[in-house]
Amino acid sequence: MSPTTILYISQGIHGLAYGMLLFLLASGLTMIFGMMGILNIAHASFFMLSAYFSYTIVRLTGNFWLGLLIAPVITAMCGALVERFLLRKVHARGHLAELLITVGIMMVILEGVKAGWGTESLVVKIPQSLSGLIHIGGLSYPVYRIFIIVLALVVFGLMGVVLYKTRLGMAVRAAVSDPEMVNALGINTSLLFMGVFAFGTWLAGVAGAAAGPLLTVFPGMADLLGMDAFVVVVVGGFGSLSGAFIVALFLGELNAYGIQFLPRLAPVLMFVFMAIVLSFKPKGLFGERE
Amino acid sequence: MRRNLHLWILSFSGLAVIVAYPHLFGIYYTNFFVKFAIFGMYAVSLNLLLGYMGVLSFGHAIFFGTGAYATALALTHISGLSLIPALLIGGFSGGILALILSLLLVRVSGTAFAMLTLAFGQLLFVFALKFRNITGGEDGIGGYPIPSLNIPGIVSIDMLEQTNFYYFAITVIAVSIWMMWFYTRTPFGSLLVGIRDNENRVDYMGFRLPHTKAVNLIVSGTFAGISGGLYALFQNLVSTVGILDIHTSFYPIMMSYIGGIGNFFGPVLGSAILHILEDVTFRFTERVDLVTGLVFILVVLFAPQGIAGVFSNIRERFVARAAGQPAVEGGI
Repeated sequence: MSPTTILYISQGIHGLAYGMLLFLLASGLTMIFGMMGILNIAHASFFMLSAYFSYTIVRLTGNFWLGLLIAPVITAMCGALVERFLLRKVHARGHLAELLITVGIMMVILEGVKAGWGTESLVVKIPQSLSGLIHIGGLSYPVYRIFIIVLALVVFGLMGVVLYKTRLGMAVRAAVSDPEMVNALGINTSLLFMGVFAFGTWLAGVAGAAAGPLLTVFPGMADLLGMDAFVVVVVGGFGSLSGAFIVALFLGELNAYGIQFLPRLAPVLMFVFMAIVLSFKPKGLFGERE
Repeated sequence: MRRNLHLWILSFSGLAVIVAYPHLFGIYYTNFFVKFAIFGMYAVSLNLLLGYMGVLSFGHAIFFGTGAYATALALTHISGLSLIPALLIGGFSGGILALILSLLLVRVSGTAFAMLTLAFGQLLFVFALKFRNITGGEDGIGGYPIPSLNIPGIVSIDMLEQTNFYYFAITVIAVSIWMMWFYTRTPFGSLLVGIRDNENRVDYMGFRLPHTKAVNLIVSGTFAGISGGLYALFQNLVSTVGILDIHTSFYPIMMSYIGGIGNFFGPVLGSAILHILEDVTFRFTERVDLVTGLVFILVVLFAPQGIAGVFSNIRERFVARAAGQPAVEGGI
């Protein structure tokens, strides 16, 4: 293969890895929105919080896998607490109050992280087996990015099985399209809401723990990915998982090739894309509800 | 009559305090007051949408920031531009941007409105960062000349003197807030409240919803633009951070909520509370937003009508008791 082709291919995989990370983050956001109608501004903050948790766990135990496993769980517990003690209190007052609560949480997490871990970039050590390069037919590629793609696929696989093959998944899918009806049918939607919120933050947590070694852990990382995940959800259609998947991968590639061909305009491209989509379809590409 | 007298005494003493303020508290607190007042006006312009029309503008910094950048750019590139036109350019830019965005924004409400405005806010933020040759990127634009306030043949007031700028800014802000207050008192303002409370009904009564919403957006955008222009004159520096970033969009929302969105002057009160809170917190810790964030969460949780709402609740109870009636919620 010529060097140019190799460059294009590796940019493509870059985009794929970033897109997968974005989907991990955006899927939680879009699920929470679809089911509870909450635009969770603090979603990316949970993502960052998990990255910090995993940094601390890795530093204390020296085991990366432990961090990847435990940090998202702790983050999910934080999410469940937030849902139970803050969001549920204002649920009856409508979505605006819930939205504002998440704004407050975002500020508190951001400043709390700065107070607890400082403002400089922290490096998460990755195990020997994940560092280094993989060689396929003249193409050398970092193992860690491949690992992120595999990890995301595993999570999607699990999510697909739970969502489409179990009774619980059925209830969740039904609640996404019509929460009141599901409640009327005798399913405890408040518990379901808490579960989905926790699961959504868990997904963000997995993304955070995985992104730590890639991006380094710093207080700006929530802003870095949060806006992209937000664009994914808006363009994909609020509450649409498949829409989020397609748009996340597309944005990943747009970002990767955008950086290569139009380095200065790459971040603008994404928003231009969003503005164009929204001008023609205000509900997003695959969205049914507002 | 007695009530009128009270009002006069109150207004005069308020005016006296504002006039004497810079001489009493020194330069640091004079600038503090100017910043509070600018953000108060900015928050009132946001509350025209939030409190009166019932939509949350989550990217209001686009209007504030556009106004600030427009004023700064105009002062940089047009030599000999005087003060008031520079400020009006800021206001017009905010209004024109609102006009353009209203084409899309009047079609949505609720969370979708919040998301769209947030998205446009980020779009403009990235644009401002990337088009470095116009906006100066992260460094922003600074050091543009601040013209003096000239009334030809009569007087020329140097605006670099901070006390002078204080009087100028307070006058502009007071006039603007009065204009907005007047605007909410017109029949058109009642129409907005109608849209907030029951959009369909206003529609069936034969009013044109999209046009009405668009006009309110433009008014709000214009005043946000003027407050942005004032901020540009005040700081003599505009950069994305603190003018166009997402936190600049969040502040007026927090101010409106903390003060009370149900009250026209609530956002001003909220701005005062937030600024004082920040100033006090900063003496103890660098993590100011931790405290403001917590206060904000508490207000949303326990005082949905803000501090103004708490006051009016207390007053209602007090007045009801004084008149010998039990304080029953809902009346009758």
